[in-house]
Amino acid sequence: MGYAAARGGLNAILTAENLVRRLRDFDPSDRIELDQFTGRLRLLVDRVMGESGLWAPELAAMALRQGEGDIIEAVHLLRAYKSTLGRLDTAIPVHANDMQLVRRVVPAFREPGGPQILGRSTDYTARMLRTTDHDIIDNGASTSAIEGVLKTRPSNSRMSDVLRDMDLLVDRRRTDDPEPFDITRTPAKPPAPRSALLSSMARAETGALVNQWYRNILGPDGYLHEVTLGEVRHGKLPINVRHPMTGGSVNIGSFRATEVEAIEDLNGSEEDRTRFDVGYGFCFGHNERKAIAMANLDIACYRDGAKSGLEQSLLMTTDGLDSAGFLEHLKLPHYVTFRSMVERKVAVRRVADGSK
Amino acid sequence: MTLDTASHTSPTTIAQLVGHRTTETFALLDEESKREIRRALLQAVCIPGYQVPFGSREMPVARGWGSGGLQVTLACVGVDDAVKVIDQGDDEGVNAVNLRRLVTMSTGIDETTEVDEATLIQSRHRIPEDDMNENHILILQVPVPEPLRGIERDIRELARMHAEADYSRMWVSLYEDKVRNGVITQSTGYPCLVASRYIVATTPIPRWDIPRLHQSKFLTLFGAGREKRVYAIPPYTDVEPLTFEDVPFEVESADGATCRLCGSSESFLVETPGKQESWSCSDTAWCRRRRNA
Amino acid sequence: MTSIIVPSPIIQVRNLGKYYGNFDPAMIERTGPEHGTARDHVTASIVAAWGVNFDVAAGEALGIVGESGSGKSTVLRCIAGDVAASTGDVRLTPFADGSVNILDLDPSARRQLRINTLSVVYQDPAEGLALGVTAGGNIADPLTASGWRNFGAIRDRARELLARTEVPLDRMDDIVRNFSGGMRQRVQIARALANKPPILLLDEPTTGLDASVASGVLDLIRQLLEELQVAAIVVSHDFGVIEMLTERCLVMQHGRVVEDALTDQLLEDPHHPYSQKLVAAART
Repeated sequence: MGYAAARGGLNAILTAENLVRRLRDFDPSDRIELDQFTGRLRLLVDRVMGESGLWAPELAAMALRQGEGDIIEAVHLLRAYKSTLGRLDTAIPVHANDMQLVRRVVPAFREPGGPQILGRSTDYTARMLRTTDHDIIDNGASTSAIEGVLKTRPSNSRMSDVLRDMDLLVDRRRTDDPEPFDITRTPAKPPAPRSALLSSMARAETGALVNQWYRNILGPDGYLHEVTLGEVRHGKLPINVRHPMTGGSVNIGSFRATEVEAIEDLNGSEEDRTRFDVGYGFCFGHNERKAIAMANLDIACYRDGAKSGLEQSLLMTTDGLDSAGFLEHLKLPHYVTFRSMVERKVAVRRVADGSK
Repeated sequence: MTLDTASHTSPTTIAQLVGHRTTETFALLDEESKREIRRALLQAVCIPGYQVPFGSREMPVARGWGSGGLQVTLACVGVDDAVKVIDQGDDEGVNAVNLRRLVTMSTGIDETTEVDEATLIQSRHRIPEDDMNENHILILQVPVPEPLRGIERDIRELARMHAEADYSRMWVSLYEDKVRNGVITQSTGYPCLVASRYIVATTPIPRWDIPRLHQSKFLTLFGAGREKRVYAIPPYTDVEPLTFEDVPFEVESADGATCRLCGSSESFLVETPGKQESWSCSDTAWCRRRRNA
Repeated sequence: MTSIIVPSPIIQVRNLGKYYGNFDPAMIERTGPEHGTARDHVTASIVAAWGVNFDVAAGEALGIVGESGSGKSTVLRCIAGDVAASTGDVRLTPFADGSVNILDLDPSARRQLRINTLSVVYQDPAEGLALGVTAGGNIADPLTASGWRNFGAIRDRARELLARTEVPLDRMDDIVRNFSGGMRQRVQIARALANKPPILLLDEPTTGLDASVASGVLDLIRQLLEELQVAAIVVSHDFGVIEMLTERCLVMQHGRVVEDALTDQLLEDPHHPYSQKLVAAART
């Protein structure tokens, strides 16, 4: 009898769990320490935190280790862990300009105001696989140059402000201050406020967003075109809360994030063709492709999301746990449903035969 | 958030500030979450068949694997409850085992395979063969809560159809099905009209089980964790499978087959295919009791 | 211009108006036949229809004729509820005894109206049919929507209607997408009549059809209007259609009604210059 109808179900599960634990935790190689994840696999840790919606590098490392490197598994562990934690407080909103930059790229202009920092990036490195350790040599970049770059800097100007000053930007800033939509407490569905869309995308699966972007650019039913990027930023932002006694702002930590502003060329018949609009991308950690896809999709959704169904796709099909979970649930026993389907086929055949 | 005024020193760390608030969680979820789920369930009971959205939490089981049913069970469970969990009618199915141990481990309550000993019955794809009554709550795991998914994908149009009770396209699809195939070919999850108002997806329970929902003595709750909705069929509610008055609703027929273990022909049977095809009860506990009786 | 008074009207339309864009009361005076346009040059708004009044009696077919852009289809769509009217009062005797302005109905009530009281036949059959559904299924739709639950009875009624609209019964279970334009139109008419509505709106019912096919459909509609004694509104740019189907008609230009007369008399002796132009063109 197969897995589907295993007798002694508990024994089967315990055996499976033991196998996983045994082979994972007692592999002949050295156990991976958490600081090896955070220190040497930082992008993996950042991606897991981004898709979990939880900033906790050490926990993310634990989850990756327990999940044997499967990102979805690690995200599941983190989010399920988060479900057991009560919510203490809501941080005081922080302005993105408070970001201490370690990287800033502005493709739209040659010499934008404020620093352009290539920073820690492999964008312009030749992708040549290093098969030995022997060529870890100093490539000549001076120590002081490195130290200079590693210092974070405040960001002062951003492209959307510059465009606004040049009167080239549609002004969509709100004057009211609505509460942001909390997707962890209320499921978002169209028509949803922008904060619901942005927070859904901020913790969406990276591949899902990149694919949504790419298929809408090049796929058979696609209709998007690429944006010009105004800002690609990576840096640290503070976490501030209100002191319960004094009411003052108290800094309790910081987190890193990637922020993107995408400049959209408006060309629709009902749009202001003399101006641009901006899409926004933001996620935990260093994950540029996700934030760029998010920014392009944000503005695409604003322009055409309702008619095209893009809003529904983004809100309801980009979560990694939902998609992977539903897909893999097909492995569960389905013999009752299957038996019922077979019975209907017999019934249809009987009618067809009977009418001959 | 208020300070513990009994403390002698002012807290200087976050940990001290929240220390008095951390409590052992009963049933995996914190109290606020459970309360939220119960509020959604109360709404669902007040509006039979209406899909109530709720802030579905991530559970230790994956989306699509019973996270919704689990949340409903955890929100309802109290220290005096006893839980039965089945999958395809089988208490020993691995997923049922996993869900059951999650419930018992986080609550300490009793588990059972017998319906008359249980108060909460969480099930995937079956209603137990035994009669249930006012002391039971049946909690069904729901993969897709939307009964109209086959005829419409746009979520706003679906909301409108339910809000306006505009189910005409559903009726047309039943007509077309009967015309094309000679029978209505919906296998499981047969669409039903609840309290003459909302059409619901009866999860993939077989048609065999549908008549048990009509005017039942027990409460049935439906949990869809991935889709983040719950709905309910309160006791003594009308549940009518959608069909034409001259097209009888057909439950699964086994052509006179009987269970090879207990001999029953009055229970839902599943087959073991092959040269010597054999049938057995899907409800293993019911079958075992019948054999031992 | 005085309207012909109709005793016991089934349809009563007063001051029906529809504009697109921003509203400025003065824009009404700046648009219309005297200005040669429906577009207000000041606000750029379009006054698609304004100040439309008419009654329709039981068993009567009223025509609305004009070139494209005249507002005739707008009037029909406002009454049908496909377009939200900007202003006006429309009452239907078979619906709540004429006590309700149907322009104010919420979507649910409007749907009920369209199921049981008022049917529309569109120029493009695809607008009034589900192309992926069979001919019988398209008729089953309004029947089930009004509560029919007997499969046999639904089939019988569908056959009856398809026979009456001269659709071959052996095509009853074919999906409408596989039908020719003329056949699709006949199925649309069958569907519109399923619940025996007292009111029928027809928007350019034969305009999209080949000439050879159109005359057959036109003849069918003429027979049906006579048989069923519904109150009907027929919108067309084609005087041939208006002449064949209607006893009275309105002429519209740039959103306004310019003439309201018995169809025969209009064709014989049009008063308004625009009507004269239209009639002359039709005669050639």
